[in-house]
Amino acid sequence: MRLGPTATVARRAFASAAAGHGSHEGGGKTWKVLSFVVALPGVAVCMLNAYIKKQHHSHDSPPFTAYSHLRIRTKPFPWGDGNHTLFHNPHTNPLPTGFEGPHH
Amino acid sequence: MARQAHAYHMVDPSPWPLTGATAALLLTSGLAVWFHYHSTTLMTLGLILMLLTMYQWWRDIVREGTYMGHHTPPVQKGLRYGMIPFITSEVFFFLGFFWAFFHSSLAPTPELGGCWPPTGITPLDPFEVPLLNTAVLLASGVTVTWAHHSLMEGQRKEAIQSLALTILLGCYFTTLQAMEYYEAPFTIADGVYGSTFFVATGFHGLHVIIGTSFLAGICLLRQIKYHFTSQHHFGFEAAAWYWHFVDVVWLFLYVSIYWWGS
Repeated sequence: MRLGPTATVARRAFASAAAGHGSHEGGGKTWKVLSFVVALPGVAVCMLNAYIKKQHHSHDSPPFTAYSHLRIRTKPFPWGDGNHTLFHNPHTNPLPTGFEGPHH
Repeated sequence: MARQAHAYHMVDPSPWPLTGATAALLLTSGLAVWFHYHSTTLMTLGLILMLLTMYQWWRDIVREGTYMGHHTPPVQKGLRYGMIPFITSEVFFFLGFFWAFFHSSLAPTPELGGCWPPTGITPLDPFEVPLLNTAVLLASGVTVTWAHHSLMEGQRKEAIQSLALTILLGCYFTTLQAMEYYEAPFTIADGVYGSTFFVATGFHGLHVIIGTSFLAGICLLRQIKYHFTSQHHFGFEAAAWYWHFVDVVWLFLYVSIYWWGS
């Protein structure tokens, strides 16, 4: 195909722009820098924050009240004795009758 | 073999749609049997058949795409057009849980005490571990983009390292969520607060586990085995799309259920 000089220049500009976009030089480096300078330090700061806030926790569970809208057991769970939820924690999760164990 | 005058993939007959459908039937009826008769036999059978189907079906697709050259550009376009409605359907799946949550929390019933969180519920502090989880997932979104650019630039080692980092962040998220579930002062049996919380965050956690497996068990392994080229790596892109989707769902969960809902 024969093209005038202006068209040739324009085509070359498009071709090199497309090549520059296609090879994506530097994109990997940018995202690597973002990973190590922004993303991971952000995780570290949030880890520190979660750790510090955890230190100020009180370990007392609120007193048990047998609310009818909580600790619902319309039929037994299909696992265990049918009265404990899947992620049961005796220190934080009371059964419908109250906490298990002597310390509560 | 007859000459093929088009670029489309004429698939061979395969048993996996049939075993997959059988697995789906066994799994759902097995779940019902477990709930009603406390027997896990049928469910386990369905689970095993499903895992076998997944392994063999995807193994076949990897062979067709990587070694047999069936994934021509128009076929790759078809794979893209398949992944988009799949993720859209997942969006609507989660939309249902958000609907249930806002239905229950925007106008709390008198039985709950007319307030949200309901009377007697101590919610989790959104600015402790949930905030850390947000940072972990956002960071993994950055590292997966780093992996994608490394792949496109042919930086093999960096692609492996950044992909491994993404997977580690995914595993860290799952560990933190497991700890939160154990430490939570409420359970799935604590009324509509417990059910909306654990169903929404539980299905999200399941999706994180699936996304991590997709990135680790399939993409990282295939990258190590030289399956991906800088031009042809749609399997990786699909996993990255899925990962970003899981990330965005978490942001909505965090803002509405953890933050506003507490």
